[in-house]
Amino acid sequence: MTSVQINGLTKRFGDVVAVDNLSFEVQTGSVTGFLGPNGAGKTTTLRMLLGLVEPTAGTATIGGAPYRSLADPFRHVGAVLDSTSFHPGRRARDHLRVLCVAAGIAVTRADEVLDQVGLSDVGDRRVRGFSLGMRQRLGLAAALLGDPEVLILDEPANGLDPQGVHWLRTFLRGYADQGRSVLVSSHLLIEVAHTVDDVVIVAKGRLVVQSSLADLAGRTKPGVWVRTPQAQILRDALAAKGIAAETQSAETVMAIDTTTEAVGVAAAGAGVVIFEMNAQHFDLEEFFLELTTPNLNTTTEGATR
Amino acid sequence: MKNLIRAELMKLRTTRMIYGLAVAALAFAAISTIDAVSRAGKSGGGAALSTGQGIRDVMSAGSSSGLVLLLIGILVMAGEFRHSTATSTFLVCPKRGRVVAAKLAASVLVAAAIAVAASGLTLALSMPWLASKHLHVDIFSRNVGLVLLGGIAVMMIWAAVGVGVGSLIRNQTAAVIVALAWVGVIESLLVSYVPEVGKWVPGGAADALGDAANRAATGGLLPVWAGGLVFVAYGVVFAAAGTRFTMRRDIS
Repeated sequence: MTSVQINGLTKRFGDVVAVDNLSFEVQTGSVTGFLGPNGAGKTTTLRMLLGLVEPTAGTATIGGAPYRSLADPFRHVGAVLDSTSFHPGRRARDHLRVLCVAAGIAVTRADEVLDQVGLSDVGDRRVRGFSLGMRQRLGLAAALLGDPEVLILDEPANGLDPQGVHWLRTFLRGYADQGRSVLVSSHLLIEVAHTVDDVVIVAKGRLVVQSSLADLAGRTKPGVWVRTPQAQILRDALAAKGIAAETQSAETVMAIDTTTEAVGVAAAGAGVVIFEMNAQHFDLEEFFLELTTPNLNTTTEGATR
Repeated sequence: MKNLIRAELMKLRTTRMIYGLAVAALAFAAISTIDAVSRAGKSGGGAALSTGQGIRDVMSAGSSSGLVLLLIGILVMAGEFRHSTATSTFLVCPKRGRVVAAKLAASVLVAAAIAVAASGLTLALSMPWLASKHLHVDIFSRNVGLVLLGGIAVMMIWAAVGVGVGSLIRNQTAAVIVALAWVGVIESLLVSYVPEVGKWVPGGAADALGDAANRAATGGLLPVWAGGLVFVAYGVVFAAAGTRFTMRRDIS
């Protein structure tokens, strides 16, 4: 089941195309990472999804309806967009209570969510004195007020310390495991790699790939990097065993989709001297960089070193 | 809608800004009242206190804090953009017209409360003082009651105009400076020196409705009823324009 559906979404600011015919979806009960470098159009996309920014073209729906048409949006969708969107002179608890009143939720809910994000002790403080990490938590608390089935977060890990990031990961995972949906943006794949089920990768406002994280990992094959003075002999020996390889320089060979054991056996059989050898693991971050960096060949084949 | 208005009132209550502005409004009213009574009938002051005009001058002093109410309206709206709280406000209620309506209602309600307090202060200061001069003043007379009511209406409408201005000029500092410069300087000059234009601008219409005497002395204000209609029209136009503008703008 889909909870969020983006269809041909486009936003132009003058001559700049911030989001370019973007389509993707978020499945119910999953955490979807919305990834791309800074300026890829992630924030604009999320703001269009939430009815804050008017799309130039295309549609964005949550549970089948545009956000602005939802009867009681706060109870269906919770969003954390901007860690600075608080009145500095208002107390944290009051900030939440105002939202409760506006949304028709009991104000006691403010204390519950403060507790949930670990801010109970500072609820009576004015937001002026909050660190970036505390503001992120307060933003999340606000998003949780309506106990929504869809959570949308824009770079929520910004400003969180390592414990905070760990806490957030666990929290989001637990949220999706209750059968709810989470869409979380980040410019760092590694930040969400432990949490997400699916990834949507964008660059320059365009979709680069939508896939499950497992499929994405499967697109790259493990390789074995070898340094040897007998590169050509090694390649022939590998080829004889049906192992593809490429010569990277006079002294180095990359064997593709194989293991160190298989390469070692082939090298021993041919009597090849090996100076160095190591397995090249799938490096998600590097793959991500390759996908999203402009002017690079973005083939997904053999995305290894 | 009721929830949204309550939320807007709560927003005002939970920061210190409104208390400072309320004190400023009352201080304006007090100073203007004292000024009007002490200078009445003297050279450079208003009409003598024994005349109806003299009493009206004193009673209209409360509405001299209209500018402060204009500020409150501006801050209620522009403050949302200054602190980016517009994001969460419009997430809770994506129907923006209702949000602006709630802000108008809350601002006008707060303005009414401050205006009543300011008028009460004017009465409390002037009545004993006038009595000591052996001048009897009937609160329910045209020269007192109607002027006070007009002043309260003026302050409520100023707040509505402020919400409109705050919607149209996103930048809070710019909105405050433009509004103060326009009302405090340009309109004052127009009313004093070019009354045929000045009587139609918001400040001139407000003066007419509130029977503000200091300016009326130079002549050329609309009658109270016409000033009232014109000023209400300004309130409606600014509020409608602000709402319309807010509906279409991208919140980023």
